Amino acid sequence: MVLHASGLTKSYGDVQALSGAELEVEEGSIVALLGKNGAGKTTLLSIISGLLRPDSGSVRVGGIDALANADAAAKLIGIAPQDTGIYPTLSVQQNLEFFGELAGMKKQFRITRVQEVAEQLGLTDLLARRASNLSGGEKRRLHTGCALVHAPRLLLLDEPTVGADVTTRAQLIDSVKGLAAQGAAVVYTTHYMPEVIELGADIAIIDDGVLLARGSRADLVASHSVHGLRFATSAPMTPAALDAIGAEADTDGYRVDGEISVGELVAKLGKDAALITSIESLQPSLETVFLKITGSSLDEEDAAPEPDPNNERVST
Amino acid sequence: MTAAWAVTKVQFRILKSDPWFLVIMFLMPLAIMPLFLKTMGLALNSSGYAEANGAEQVVPGQAVVFGFFVAGSMGFSVFREHGWHTWNRLRASAAGPKALLLGFAAPWILIHIGYQALLIVVGSLFTDLNLGVGDAVDLLVLAGYSFAVIMIVMFAVSTLSSVHQVSAVVNLGAMVLGGLGGALVPLDQLPSWAQSVAPFTPTYWAMEGHNAIFLDEAGFSGVMRPVLTLLAIGVVFGALAINRFRSDDVKNFFA
Repeated sequence: MVLHASGLTKSYGDVQALSGAELEVEEGSIVALLGKNGAGKTTLLSIISGLLRPDSGSVRVGGIDALANADAAAKLIGIAPQDTGIYPTLSVQQNLEFFGELAGMKKQFRITRVQEVAEQLGLTDLLARRASNLSGGEKRRLHTGCALVHAPRLLLLDEPTVGADVTTRAQLIDSVKGLAAQGAAVVYTTHYMPEVIELGADIAIIDDGVLLARGSRADLVASHSVHGLRFATSAPMTPAALDAIGAEADTDGYRVDGEISVGELVAKLGKDAALITSIESLQPSLETVFLKITGSSLDEEDAAPEPDPNNERVST
Repeated sequence: MTAAWAVTKVQFRILKSDPWFLVIMFLMPLAIMPLFLKTMGLALNSSGYAEANGAEQVVPGQAVVFGFFVAGSMGFSVFREHGWHTWNRLRASAAGPKALLLGFAAPWILIHIGYQALLIVVGSLFTDLNLGVGDAVDLLVLAGYSFAVIMIVMFAVSTLSSVHQVSAVVNLGAMVLGGLGGALVPLDQLPSWAQSVAPFTPTYWAMEGHNAIFLDEAGFSGVMRPVLTLLAIGVVFGALAINRFRSDDVKNFFA
């Protein structure tokens, strides 16, 4: 087991960011940490990487108590935080070399690794280019590359594809899969369901600072997914109407689980059907797993790429 | 130490990639020196240095004042890491807070010594300051002053939360402490209250050391007390900085 985190709690004033979170990751596996904004993903990664101290709980990385022996654990961890963090006035090569040297890599090994990482991320032709002159996607790849260069046993990627173009996204996903194939344990936070599927990752669903479910996509869909209908209304439904159709309220409206057609729903609701403003069919999928487990969906606002101030090419 | 050395080297690389701040901070005092040469010559003559031409005050004085501005760059370099979002990457590395502080302070102490030394050498060419081999002992004064002001700025970095606050402290340090310490005009030309306050400033001790060499020609024995005092100031502020420094403090590079 490369990562074993248990009982992690963390609060910021009155806000409980983590409430007993647990996470285990084995060598060679990818765990996609799936959750809405504010679910606790970044807090969890920050604690694992030593950027934050938890209020309670334990973190072991490669068998090392990461809270008691942070420096030793840090050598085993590579983290690419959510914000793109590179030295804009240095070249791509200098950026990669610096983070390798910071991790204590010997020069000879460092030079080889820089070439390998650059090749993996499609940066080989850009090694001599000043980082400020890279496009947004290239910066994002360099940002991730800086976390990979010392060949960490545990790689923590916090929303690595936010603001990235399609090519960058594909390259990053390929790189992550490649690293896992070489034996690294990867924790990958994301809003994007398709990425999770593409990674072939184990999925950990986090909500309100608690890991609610963990498993492969197939297992989660088999055990948690729902058939049914989801609908929104212009005014609250009466309890009697909800009882009539066996509906439950969720954050965006109401949900009826099971085999039910739109016609049946409308017929059962009678005149209350006039309140319906939208209906959506729920099919077994990761989305409906997430919906069932958290009671809400990864809505568009959550899933939309966040604006990246570094995303524009400064010059070429 | 490996991590501190890596941070040190990257500071030099960043400076090499954008040296213009340092170039401007080098040219500016050189342009100012001739403007005050005659006035400072008269001031020194009236202070009993009949042979002085003013360069003995102007050249080291400008090095002391502008040295404070340049020391501020160490502070900006830390805040810049926050602006570039690289600070958390440094924190997440195996480098502890002390190694990070060392990695930022060490290159700037060296740069600061080199900056002052070059300013005095080049300034002497513009102002007829007579530099001899024996004046090399002035390097001790430069080293002591560099250590003291970089540690003061490091303390400011550990305490303040925005780059504008650091900028204000540096400007205040350069102008007010420079003035009080006798770097702008000879100390005996200042009001008596300022002369009483002066020994509490690092600039005073730097000028004491420079005056011992360029005016009194006292050599090594003349600079020992100022140098040791500067080192003591540096140790005190360095200890305060280490004690106060929290690598997870929020620092704002942008307003």
